[in-house]
Amino acid sequence: MIDLEKIGREMPYKMPDHFIENLTERVIAEVKQPAKKKSPIYLYIAAAASAAAMVLLLLNPFNIGTMGIPDYENISECKSIDEMFQTMSADDLGIYSMMTNYYGESTL
Amino acid sequence: MKKTSIDNSIADDAIAEMLCNDSRAEYALRLIMQKYGEPLYWHIRRMVVVHDDAEDALQETMLNVYKYRNTYSKEFALSSWLYKIATNESLKLLKNRAGFMQSVDDLGDSLKNSVSEESSPDADKTVVLLQEAIALLPIKQKTVFNLRYYDEMSYEEIHHITGDSINTLKTNYHYAVNKIKEYITEHSLL
Repeated sequence: MIDLEKIGREMPYKMPDHFIENLTERVIAEVKQPAKKKSPIYLYIAAAASAAAMVLLLLNPFNIGTMGIPDYENISECKSIDEMFQTMSADDLGIYSMMTNYYGESTL
Repeated sequence: MKKTSIDNSIADDAIAEMLCNDSRAEYALRLIMQKYGEPLYWHIRRMVVVHDDAEDALQETMLNVYKYRNTYSKEFALSSWLYKIATNESLKLLKNRAGFMQSVDDLGDSLKNSVSEESSPDADKTVVLLQEAIALLPIKQKTVFNLRYYDEMSYEEIHHITGDSINTLKTNYHYAVNKIKEYITEHSLL
């Protein structure tokens, strides 16, 4: 049976010369550095994302639609498309017309 | 390179005291590197096998020693605290290497292959076989075997490092020795 004590504690690897000394200097240099301040970039990103969200909220055509266009449940109650148009105000029809011109009828 | 004269005979208690004193912490870190740098390097190297990984883990160990110096409790030996941090860094590195899909214990074959790659061409064949056998051990058995066999620590000291009970450590060591002997016997015959 194998006797581990006979194999001993020698390692088959080598440690590079002056490894500990070099690493010590690197570690000391690292701890001497003042604590890194967090980059303010995330503040810019958050501000840009907030601004983009505000713009989308203001320009979102579905927001505009909720002011006059019947919602999904109301649409299902309409007998026909023509009847639905009759429930729309002149302003709503104007918006609808503008959006149709802009996006095309099939997408609305 | 800047040379600092360091007294290597300074007791651990004195080093620990300096470490907790902000104005002397840097000097204490130098003392720790000089006194424990090499043993900690070999402890980490036996765990992670590859030199570059051992270098990263040892550097992180030392940075953590400095960063968390005020959490050191005099209740335990300084060496146990250092080995605990080094063991944790080794495990962290192995976990990163294993990734999300596998456990550290699945790295056995890969670590075994690294043993052959990292060994010196003139290394004794049985010494290489011993490292291969250790590489294949589950992490708990590997840790207790390395600390007991190479660092010649008592089970009490290992308990402070791993947190495992003495009985668990004894069982793991026993299994580790049997597996190692079996592996060496089997591969020596080939």
